[in-house]
Amino acid sequence: MLSPAILAELRAAVDSDSRSGRTSQSSLITAPNQLQTYECDGLTAFRVTPDAVVLPRTTEQVQSVIRICAKHKIPFVARGSGTGLSGGALPAEGSVVICLSRMNRILNIDLPNQQITVQPGVINANVTAAVSRDGFFYAPDPSSQSVCSIGGNIAENAGGAHCLKYGFTVTHVLEMTVVLPTGEVVTLGNKTPDAPGYDLLGVFIGSEGTLGVATEMTLRIVRKPETVQVILAAFDTITAAAQTVSDVIAAGQLPAAMEIMDRLSIEAAEASVHPNYPACAALLLIELDGPRAEVDLQMTTVIELAKKNGAWETRLAIDEQDRFLIWKGRKAAFAAAGRLSSHYIVQDGVIPRTALPAVLEKITEMSTVENLRVTNVFHAGDGNLHPIVLYCADNPGEEERAINLSMRILDICVEAGGSITGEHGVGREKQCSMSYMYADPDLETMQRVRHAFDPQNISNPDKLFPTPRLCGERSRGAYVPHNLETNGIAEIF
Amino acid sequence: MPAAQLNIAEQLIAIAGNQYVRSNEDIILVSPANTQQVSEVLRIANENRLAVTPIGGGTKLSWGSPTQTNIRLDLTRLNRVIEHPWQDLTCTVQAGCTWQQLEQTLAKHGQFVALDPLWTEQATVGGILATNDSGSLRHRYGSLRDLVIGMTLVLADGTIARSGGKVVKNVAGYDLCKLVTGSFGTLAVITEATFRLHPLPQHTQTFTVSAPQAAKLAPLMVTIRASHLLTLALQLRGDTNGFHLDIQLNAHPEAHQNEILRKMTETAGLKLDAGLNETWQARESLFLNRDVFVVKIGMLPTAVAKTVDDVVRLGGAAVAQGLGVIYAAFPNLERNYSPLASLYAYTDTGSMTLLQIPSNPHDDPMPPGGPHKPNPLMQAVKHQFDPNRIMNPGGLLLGGL
Repeated sequence: MLSPAILAELRAAVDSDSRSGRTSQSSLITAPNQLQTYECDGLTAFRVTPDAVVLPRTTEQVQSVIRICAKHKIPFVARGSGTGLSGGALPAEGSVVICLSRMNRILNIDLPNQQITVQPGVINANVTAAVSRDGFFYAPDPSSQSVCSIGGNIAENAGGAHCLKYGFTVTHVLEMTVVLPTGEVVTLGNKTPDAPGYDLLGVFIGSEGTLGVATEMTLRIVRKPETVQVILAAFDTITAAAQTVSDVIAAGQLPAAMEIMDRLSIEAAEASVHPNYPACAALLLIELDGPRAEVDLQMTTVIELAKKNGAWETRLAIDEQDRFLIWKGRKAAFAAAGRLSSHYIVQDGVIPRTALPAVLEKITEMSTVENLRVTNVFHAGDGNLHPIVLYCADNPGEEERAINLSMRILDICVEAGGSITGEHGVGREKQCSMSYMYADPDLETMQRVRHAFDPQNISNPDKLFPTPRLCGERSRGAYVPHNLETNGIAEIF
Repeated sequence: MPAAQLNIAEQLIAIAGNQYVRSNEDIILVSPANTQQVSEVLRIANENRLAVTPIGGGTKLSWGSPTQTNIRLDLTRLNRVIEHPWQDLTCTVQAGCTWQQLEQTLAKHGQFVALDPLWTEQATVGGILATNDSGSLRHRYGSLRDLVIGMTLVLADGTIARSGGKVVKNVAGYDLCKLVTGSFGTLAVITEATFRLHPLPQHTQTFTVSAPQAAKLAPLMVTIRASHLLTLALQLRGDTNGFHLDIQLNAHPEAHQNEILRKMTETAGLKLDAGLNETWQARESLFLNRDVFVVKIGMLPTAVAKTVDDVVRLGGAAVAQGLGVIYAAFPNLERNYSPLASLYAYTDTGSMTLLQIPSNPHDDPMPPGGPHKPNPLMQAVKHQFDPNRIMNPGGLLLGGL
């Protein structure tokens, strides 16, 4: 437990800004019932109560807190909205959680240079909202974009359905103010292109809070497309749908999104939010955006290719209402798995696109042997697979088998030349799979970067990298959907 | 040859073979055949505290302030395209492969790494990555850091490390590819890289708009950047003969985007002309004369036109990308003012790096305040990767790396 003296230091650090005039409400939380709010993120199977939570409002306050942590070697964990799915914001034992939700101001909008400067607690969708009237948007659209924060997006290098065309968070961050684990404040990157020196910005993004805390960021904003069209195509096999995806790419097209859902997930979505999907073995959803004339021409090609591969129904959605309904079903897909089974685990593997039929065959085989159902939803364009393992925790031993199966599915992704995570991050959940994907020298090289940033190993320690202590233990748990997801308002990819 | 050097040369011969080790004065040139040999060479260099300069085509060695080196590590024997799984839109290639050879291989399936670097027939994949070179296509496809998805690296102590992988979407672990891209060989030697690919554009058209001043082209640049046009490249050129805005579109002819562009141009009071494909090589022409200073400037997009006007006013020529990268060349003349000092002062808000310095310079290439210092964090990263400082000392134009 943190001593009263340290807590007093922390209180002084975050209550120094008394512009509200209300000194009664401290920005330091230590009451056990209040600390509980911060004991887990979206991966609710893991819970650790932090020793203290601070709610800073300025870079200087974050710096003061981290200086105290550095002086006393106290681990700290930065947190935004807590929507992460891999336990990245799970508090460390005896840690201070730095919750950035009060740093939620948009600081500057520079339309001619297509940039916006924000604080880390700003909600992803609010960035787009701030520039939407001027015809721009912020491209990364991860899971619950209506609730997740930009700071968390940076920690996880968040993606989304549209990163196929627009790239990930790292593509869209130009400059950041970062408080290092030593308490120093540095600027990484630059608002102008190609600043000389190492790309520390590129390394920081996606480092899952292990290299410091970003307190201010300048983001790229993108011109909204003139038009958006979505096509739904129904196939008898996943392979036919996957072949269509390959053909679209071979034809030189770059859609904004390409998604496939299998029969089980279609049924679940139908039962849950009634998107009126055709009942089929594989549903392919392709979104095209751009100048109207160009999109019309591309859509003709896409429909031809779908039909060539045996699509027996194609449905084009041009107006916003129709598109919303189509996406609503896809967005609710994870949460809808609750209609199929009392418990389930969501995974996030990536494979080379062409390996899809072979990997799916293996998953089916394993699922049959294990006698557990697995349903699949995927970002087919970039090979990002989200297998959902269904099980019932009340059956003795079934949860263990389900966890084990989801782990082995990740192993197959690695064996196919892929990755254990495309967008959810490694966090606590998958750190033991890191050593299956990378060899020791690869991980040791990453550790060199970590030592340069965080010599005392206090910034979100015991995450991302495999540790002997943790990797003997149970490392996964059931997925519990956020209620925004259940209602089809936000999506988890 | 001193005895110590003879001894090193013998060890290197044992690794790479007799015909692949040459001594010239006090520099040893070694040409390893594979990643394993690169690792063994670096281990020996590191144990003996010998400085190593990795070399591919040798086209951009002046892009830095290289100090004395002991070993030149020639990577041109690692010249194969290892695989091109075209349906996955990725490729893996060795560092010593020339860009042109890579382009030719990928074009067989109508694909490319969406980048237009300098001197593609000589420049190699490794050197282009180390210098983070990019041309006008960056407007549409981003820079190398957006295109490289995996790498094999050899650290100073011989450690062979892989980063990233062969899939486009991957957030497992730190992205060392981004760190090493643009590090000028000062952190690690790149021996292999995996890229995401794009289909070759099918309907490109080049247009040029001319004006007596860059400022007159500025509003049109802003309009194009904020428009729905499918613009691949946007380049502003200027010298004493005039200023030109080059626009490359990639849209289906039936989409009639050229007509939209023509209207925009006319609204701006300018005239749209058909352009030549050669205009996209304009950046190379700045380096043609060895007796010129060439600088690279990073500015906000809205400052590009004014910077180009100023470069020409100072007696130079410029080729700029609309998103804020400006290359400028100045003839090596004796004059009573310093164009470089003026530009250094001007680029306070951005950055400026010297790429080429004439052998007998009449202008002071040094920034007025002395060499730029990297931040302590960059130095800490350098120290973790290369504590003995053997990796291309001075390769990066930042004192201390």
